[in-house]
Amino acid sequence: MKKSISLLFVVVLSLATTAQDNCTSAIDIVPGTYVVDQVNGAEPPTIICAGANLAAFGEWYRYTPDNDYYITVSSNVANVTPVDTRLHIYTGNCGALQCAGGDDDSGPGYSSIASLNVVAGTTYYFAWDSYWTAAGFSFTLTVAPPLVNLLDFVPMSSTVGAQAVIDMNGDYLDDMVAYDGNNGLQIAYQQTNGTFDTQTRPIADGVSHSPSWSICGGDLDGNGFNDLLFAGGGGASFIWSNADGTMYNELSDENYIFCQRSNMVDMNADGMLDAFVCHDVAPNVWYMNNGTQFFDWNQGGMGDTPDGGNYGSVWIDYDNDCDIDLFIAKCRGGDSPANINQMHRNNGDGTYTEVGAEIGLADNVQTWSSAWADYDNDGDMDVVVGASSFANGGHKVMINDGNGFFTDQTASSGFDVNPNLSIEWAPGDFNNDGWVDVMGGGQILINNGDLTFTPTQVAFSAGPIGDLNEDGFLDVVTGGTRYMNVPNGNHYIKLNMQGTVSNRNGIGARVTLYTPSGEQIRDVRSGEGFRYMSSLNVHFGLGMDEQISKITVCWPSGVTDEILNPQIDQTLLIVEGQNEVGTDERKTSSLQVLPNPAQHQLAIFGARIIQTIEAFDVSGRRINLPQQQSNTFSVEHLLPGIYFIRVMTDEGIQTLSFIKE
Amino acid sequence: MQKSFRYIIGLILVMIMIMACDKDEPEPDSCPMPSTEVHFDLAKWPFQKLSDYRFFIDTISHLKPNDGVLPYDVITPLFSDYAKKKRFIWMPDGRSANYVNDYTVLNFPEGTVMIKNFYYDHVLPDNKTKLVETRLIYLKNGEWEFADYVWNEAQTEAYFDLDGSYQTIVWMDDAGASHEVNYRIPSEVECYTCHKFNEYATPIGPKPQNLNKAISYSTGLKNQLDKWIEMGYLTPSLPNNIETVADWTDVNESIQNRWRAYVDMNCGHCHKEGSHCDYRSLRLAWNETTNPDHLGICVTPEEPLVAQLTHIIARSNVNRSMMYYRLNTAEEQYRMPLFGRTVIHQEAVTLLNEYINSLNPTCP
Repeated sequence: MKKSISLLFVVVLSLATTAQDNCTSAIDIVPGTYVVDQVNGAEPPTIICAGANLAAFGEWYRYTPDNDYYITVSSNVANVTPVDTRLHIYTGNCGALQCAGGDDDSGPGYSSIASLNVVAGTTYYFAWDSYWTAAGFSFTLTVAPPLVNLLDFVPMSSTVGAQAVIDMNGDYLDDMVAYDGNNGLQIAYQQTNGTFDTQTRPIADGVSHSPSWSICGGDLDGNGFNDLLFAGGGGASFIWSNADGTMYNELSDENYIFCQRSNMVDMNADGMLDAFVCHDVAPNVWYMNNGTQFFDWNQGGMGDTPDGGNYGSVWIDYDNDCDIDLFIAKCRGGDSPANINQMHRNNGDGTYTEVGAEIGLADNVQTWSSAWADYDNDGDMDVVVGASSFANGGHKVMINDGNGFFTDQTASSGFDVNPNLSIEWAPGDFNNDGWVDVMGGGQILINNGDLTFTPTQVAFSAGPIGDLNEDGFLDVVTGGTRYMNVPNGNHYIKLNMQGTVSNRNGIGARVTLYTPSGEQIRDVRSGEGFRYMSSLNVHFGLGMDEQISKITVCWPSGVTDEILNPQIDQTLLIVEGQNEVGTDERKTSSLQVLPNPAQHQLAIFGARIIQTIEAFDVSGRRINLPQQQSNTFSVEHLLPGIYFIRVMTDEGIQTLSFIKE
Repeated sequence: MQKSFRYIIGLILVMIMIMACDKDEPEPDSCPMPSTEVHFDLAKWPFQKLSDYRFFIDTISHLKPNDGVLPYDVITPLFSDYAKKKRFIWMPDGRSANYVNDYTVLNFPEGTVMIKNFYYDHVLPDNKTKLVETRLIYLKNGEWEFADYVWNEAQTEAYFDLDGSYQTIVWMDDAGASHEVNYRIPSEVECYTCHKFNEYATPIGPKPQNLNKAISYSTGLKNQLDKWIEMGYLTPSLPNNIETVADWTDVNESIQNRWRAYVDMNCGHCHKEGSHCDYRSLRLAWNETTNPDHLGICVTPEEPLVAQLTHIIARSNVNRSMMYYRLNTAEEQYRMPLFGRTVIHQEAVTLLNEYINSLNPTCP
């Protein structure tokens, strides 16, 4: 009697254990607790949603929710010793599965916990594998009401299929810009009442290269109106604004460049913006501003891989020394080393050294752009390296240790299970909670403040980012639609930057914000992501903080401004030098102005050879300093106030300030 | 007696000098090379002028090949903005290439050079044939090197130029319609971007799969591989059966094979294992497209360029096919191939349209 009962038991058990050995025989489940005796099903999952590498065995389950839910699948079950499991969650069907979620080690004891919003009527597959162990375990499936959309964008039609969101008429309001393909710039000028006034501005002299690969903008000649760079498949075209932003003329040279990302940046800290262009199939190229519209062509020294692979350049200060460094996201097939990312560290004297391997960023993941921001708000720039292909590994969340060295903290960040690929990855605080999020792959990955990111679907895959209605929330325009971010009650502050000694847009400036919640930083950049030009205005979300104790700006010149207690929920104009508290020590370590304050004359002391000096007042106007002796200058004629001297020595450029009393 | 003795000595001396000139190691300053043969002086290649090579005899623009300069053709060619091509190959005496497999470039000997002349017929305003450029790829010190020669207006000479340039060419087709092309003559980096495999420069055309057909020589019709063996250019150890590409214009071939042949020659050099873009799942080389996934059928694109393009090839649905979109555009950032064309290849677009519509059922 006993024997036949136990035989029956064994038969039932073995039926139960074979039923989920492969995808097509996955067992249908409902919310509840389940016991898996062993992970020994013949078909392991071959599409990996969590972790890496294939396992030998799998166990398959299937779930079709009757309503929209936010579900959690967890192998960390109360009163059961957790086991080191791995879980993949799919939609689609056997043979055509797509990752929808999954987890490896989120739970205690390396158990797996995965949560996601699910849609009524859609079938989801849960596949456990034996990668770490084939030991048996328990798991639960629980449901909760669906997670409310963390972000809301209202689509509105746009007259311009914008490639750039940038102020074009000198009022700092973000306008939308596109090249019309026929020697014209289509510009939708943002009005103060929230409407747009669309104009077509002619570009004289014909456009040799359209912005087919990327576009960037900035005030190259400092006349108060932004210029543009079109980066095309055969070369680059400079689009120069006239004196009032109503007409443009084009200039280009004969040099062949298969352009990718382009940026405007002051590479040699001489106060003038230069143009950097990634070259897809050869060493990178840059045009050095020499004060005329005919910039000096340069190639070699900023990413010299002979066959290129340079896709996503972005200029940030990764080592917190207030000078701008260059990170290049790289990509290439055929086992080529051209796909290894690079960091070119600014040595402070106009030269750069490639240090990618030294600092932990020399990754060969196939990437066309990366999103740089301080994701953990600890005062230094981190990076999300977004994959364009999983051929050499997945997305990476690389965290700066404060000394300019990076560690991989992708596991459990949400990027480890993000199945979406994209050539466009860009940072922005989209919900104004004071934590910078990441846009890419048809989603915005909301930063939860703990180095985890929660994905929220958005209707757009990529486009330039800016504030298209001056409400302090970041909007995105793509194709003929502008996606207007719906305010959620969080506070913000925006900054319009005006350089005087430094380049007029303040590109390269480090801005630091201090609130009761802590510190946030931004680097002003021209050219983010892969193709588009996003706003040059600086944007901070403040969450529920209602005051800002101070904002500091370290300009590329070294001048440091400090604004105390600025008002929140507004846009503030910051002019270099008007709130000056000194000049960054690293930039003036060797030169000194004495006496300071000065009444009649001053002298510049230092061991270096002085080649040229230029002097400015606080509004950036050049002033004359009659030279009396080799390093002594008269200040008799100056009105009382603060002044700057930019000194070019044999070792580079330094900026000093003095007070005339 | 003395005169004929001197004559004989002279003759012997000349013969000694000629014999002392091993063609494989020329010393131009001391050896009086017979001056009508191809000027093989690998150390001095590339020359500044195309005529320096002596690939062609008589009027150079007639492209009449010198001894040993063998015309060849490929079954399905690369599209180059409708430019026509005349291809030749030359190898040093006594050397030959070896067969590797059907789909791999032959293993060529040192000094091999391939010559590819690009031209248009009925070029306006004079309605004449115009040679635009002549590209060389040659094996020197074990590595393939590139050279390009741009023809002058008078068509009397072509000059070395690897910097790249543009030419506006207006030409008339057979139906009398005129077309304008902003023809791109490539720079060296552009040559290398396509002509490489695992970081090494390489030719693309001369694979057995592309050569295995008969062409018309001055001596009559002959299979190219047989001809190359006869010329001593190919060692005679070929398999009986060669997996050969289809002629993409041959209506007797299946549409699938015609399309496979087209993408092999126009895309395969970047979209195959070991190439520029092998981090994408597309594998378009002839020997890899027996698997429909490799052609992109019902494969979701990794880069959502345009939202409605749900698959690389969406069966029966041209408007949702990424491959069709990229073929049917001249926009720089979308068009495929990336290099080598600036206008749309209308006939290829038509074929792809036919192919996509022949596929059933629609993708899941």
